[in-house]
Amino acid sequence: MFFHIVLERNMQLHPRHFGRNLRENLVAKLMKDVEGTCSGQHGFVVAITGIENIGKGLIRDGTGFVTFPVKYQCVVFRPFKGEILEAVVTMVNKMGFFAEAGPVQIFVSNHLIPDDMEFQSGDMPNYTTSDGSVKIQKDSEVRLKIIGTRVDATEIFCIGTIKDDFLGVINDPATA
Amino acid sequence: MSEKGGKGFSLPTGKAVKSSLKSTPSTKDASLKGKDDSSTKSKKGRKVQFDSEGLHEPKSNFSSKFDNPAAASGKADWGKGGKGDKVGNGRKKEPQPLELKIEQELPQSAKCLMDCEAADILQGIQEQMILLSKDPTIKIPVSFDKGLQYAKRTSHYTNPQSVRKVLETLTKYGVSDGEISVIANVCPETTDEVFALVPSLKTTRSVLSQPLKEVLSELTKLKQST
Repeated sequence: MFFHIVLERNMQLHPRHFGRNLRENLVAKLMKDVEGTCSGQHGFVVAITGIENIGKGLIRDGTGFVTFPVKYQCVVFRPFKGEILEAVVTMVNKMGFFAEAGPVQIFVSNHLIPDDMEFQSGDMPNYTTSDGSVKIQKDSEVRLKIIGTRVDATEIFCIGTIKDDFLGVINDPATA
Repeated sequence: MSEKGGKGFSLPTGKAVKSSLKSTPSTKDASLKGKDDSSTKSKKGRKVQFDSEGLHEPKSNFSSKFDNPAAASGKADWGKGGKGDKVGNGRKKEPQPLELKIEQELPQSAKCLMDCEAADILQGIQEQMILLSKDPTIKIPVSFDKGLQYAKRTSHYTNPQSVRKVLETLTKYGVSDGEISVIANVCPETTDEVFALVPSLKTTRSVLSQPLKEVLSELTKLKQST
């Protein structure tokens, strides 16, 4: 889910950026550095929404760089264990399927797909119930529950399940 | 066993009590003797010994049973016990329904956003971005686009303020911000659905059912007509 959160970061700025545009330069650098990054605690930093406060700069010994403590507000996206998400299926194989919710990748293993759904191979691999009424294939929208997360330097990877009440396909691109 | 573990802070002292009959000064000696001694005592000796293995066990995930001895066994083992604990909890969680613990994991300042709110904010930023994107050094990160796309796709309501207002009536029943956001995001139709998807609400089910029903019927009115 999305969060609005205040974060702090020490920004190092080269002296060539000083002058009347210092603040703009600092903010531009902050956006470049922070947006799109991801951490275990906060998740993906999707966008900076505002600067709360820029502290006094401190000259680094030996270099001309100055460090500014910057407090900024941002929108982050972080998946939680137990959270319900709506995700779009990106790939289906016999191990299960991959789905995407925003910047987050989710894998649903075939053990976590209801038992009455069978894998069907072919040029459009899918999971289908025996009566064919429900089908999960690429671009299907599914509602799933996150049961595990792993955070990398650049991405967050989740394990999800659809083997529970009120989970599963929301809409089927084939019938829509 | 656990009782022994409890005393057994003191594995040695436990034996020492018995061994005191023999008035051996050193507890280590006592334990040695305990092993070598007659059958009843040696059994006890073994039991206690087993316990002492238990004390070290928390390293290897079997903590839950051994929590007490680990706690009793003093500071040095506390650390290990703690680690074991976490793993133990992770295991315990699986049979139980997973519950959201957003509040514990994020700093206090964090404010949950419903997808529709996020969509609004990100949309606004994207408009600014278009202006900024004249500057070639600033690239719009992939995660922003994906985030916006996701927020737009999953936001079922057009007017976040009114959704927030409706759902906020639930806070007085102890529903947390995170839970509210989940409800808004999944856009459930029945109270059963809510309780199935947000198991942490089940504890207050009896109180919550009625107001939740009203809230859901309010929300369906606010739903986007797609």
